[in-house]
Amino acid sequence: MSPGSPGAELESIEVDLLLEGVARQWGFDLRSQARPLLLRRLRRHLREERLESFSELQARVLHDGEALEGLLRTLSCTPPSLFSDAAFFRDFRTKVVPVLRTWPSVRVWHAGCGTGEDTYSLAILLQEEGLWGKCRLYASDSSEGLLADARTGVLPLPGEDDARRYAEGGGKAALGDYYTRDGNWALLQPKLRDGIFFTQHHLATDGSFNEFHVIVCRDTLLTFNRTLHNRVHGRLFESLARFGFLCLGRKESLARTPHVAAYEELEGTGRIFRRVA
Amino acid sequence: MSSMGLLVVGAPRAAAADVEALLALLPRELPAPVVLVLHRGPHDALAAPLGRRCALPVVEPDDKDDLVPGRVYLAPAGYHLLVDKGCVSLSVEPPEHGHRPCLDAVFESAADSYGPRAAGLLFTGHEDGAAGLAMLQSRGGRVAVLGEDGEGGEGQEGEVERLSLGTVGAWLARLAYVPRAKVLP
Repeated sequence: MSPGSPGAELESIEVDLLLEGVARQWGFDLRSQARPLLLRRLRRHLREERLESFSELQARVLHDGEALEGLLRTLSCTPPSLFSDAAFFRDFRTKVVPVLRTWPSVRVWHAGCGTGEDTYSLAILLQEEGLWGKCRLYASDSSEGLLADARTGVLPLPGEDDARRYAEGGGKAALGDYYTRDGNWALLQPKLRDGIFFTQHHLATDGSFNEFHVIVCRDTLLTFNRTLHNRVHGRLFESLARFGFLCLGRKESLARTPHVAAYEELEGTGRIFRRVA
Repeated sequence: MSSMGLLVVGAPRAAAADVEALLALLPRELPAPVVLVLHRGPHDALAAPLGRRCALPVVEPDDKDDLVPGRVYLAPAGYHLLVDKGCVSLSVEPPEHGHRPCLDAVFESAADSYGPRAAGLLFTGHEDGAAGLAMLQSRGGRVAVLGEDGEGGEGQEGEVERLSLGTVGAWLARLAYVPRAKVLP
C-alpha cells in the first residue's frame, strides 16, 4: 500500500457521507454528479472556505442553509460572459431563426441558465431578429441564489472581447445599445429582463414543465454522470416539440443516449439537433 | 501487481514538437488508453497534425466518451479534460494557471479514479502539472518528467524519475510490460 492511499480512501468516504447528508437534509441529490468534476469543485470550495476536511464542511452544511447555498454556487457552472460561444450564436441565427420565423409562437427553454449571461445573449439575438414579440423565454437553474443574480439583469461590464464575440455571432447593432453603464456594472434593458421567466428547476429530479420549441442546454450536462446524463436527455426529449431544436455544447453528444435516433444534427453547426421523431 | 489502466501525458505549449516525437514512440500494442493534455489556444486544430507520426489514432473526445486502449485522447480546446473510471469527463470551469485545458486537473482526476493503475508523464517547462503529478505519485501511480529545466516535476513527495526523449521509449516499454505469473511446481 502506498503512503497516500489510506488518505484517499478516507477522503472518498467523507465525500460520500457529505453527499448523503445533503441529499437527506436538503433534498439536493449530488450523488449523480460527474465524480471527478465534483471532487475538484468540492476541493476548491474547501480551500475557499478554509476548511480542513469534508467532514467539517458536512457539519456546517447540514446545519446552515446559507452554507448550502454557498456550496451549490461553487458546484454550479456558468458561462462568465455574454455571447460566450460566438459560433453557436452565429449558427443559431443562420439555421434556427429562419425556421422560427415561420411559426406563430415560440417557447424557448434555457436549462441551466446560471447567472443568466447566455440567456440574455439569446434574448438580444431574438430581439434583433424580430422574434421577441412571439417568443416566450423560460430560463431555469437549480440554484435559487444564481437565479436571484440573473433576475437583476445586472452584469459585470462587458469588455472588448464580449463586443467582439457579439459581432462574430452576427450582432446587428452595438452591444452597448443593450445596457446602461453604472460604474463597473451593466444594467441590461428592462425590456430584455422583463421578458424572461426565471424559475427554479432541478434537471436531476424535476419533471417536464411544458412543451418547448427550442431547448438550449449547453455545457450543463457535463456535470452529470452518465446515468443521470441519459435520464436528463429523456426529460429534454419529452419536453421538446416534434421538429423542435435542441442546442448542446460544442463537445456534447447524443451518441450514447437512448434518443439519438430521434434527432438529426443540423448540417454545418456545432451541435444543434432537430427532433424528427 | 496491478496492470496499467491509463497513461496520462501533460505538456505545455512549448513542448508541442517533443509531444509529436513522443507520440511516434508509443507502441501500437499499448494495453491502455492515453490521455494527452496540451496547453492550447481556443481555436487550434491540433489532432490531425499531432497524429501524423503516431501509430495510434489521435482523437478529440466528446464528453462521456469511453476510454478505449490503444487510442490517444487529446483534450479539446476550451475544456478541461478529466477522467472518470473508463470515460472522459469534460468541464468548462475557469482556466487554471491561465490555461484551459490545464494539466493539474487531468493528473488529479487520474489519481482519484485510477490511483496506482495510472502512469503520468509530464513535460517540464511550466508550473502547471507539478502539483497534479505529485498527487498521482502519492496515490501510487508511476510518474516521470521529461525535459531538462528545473521547473515542474519537483513534487513534495520526493524524487520523480527524470527522462529524456532518448530514454522515454524504455520507460514506456517497462509500463507496458506485464510479468507472467510464476508457474509453481
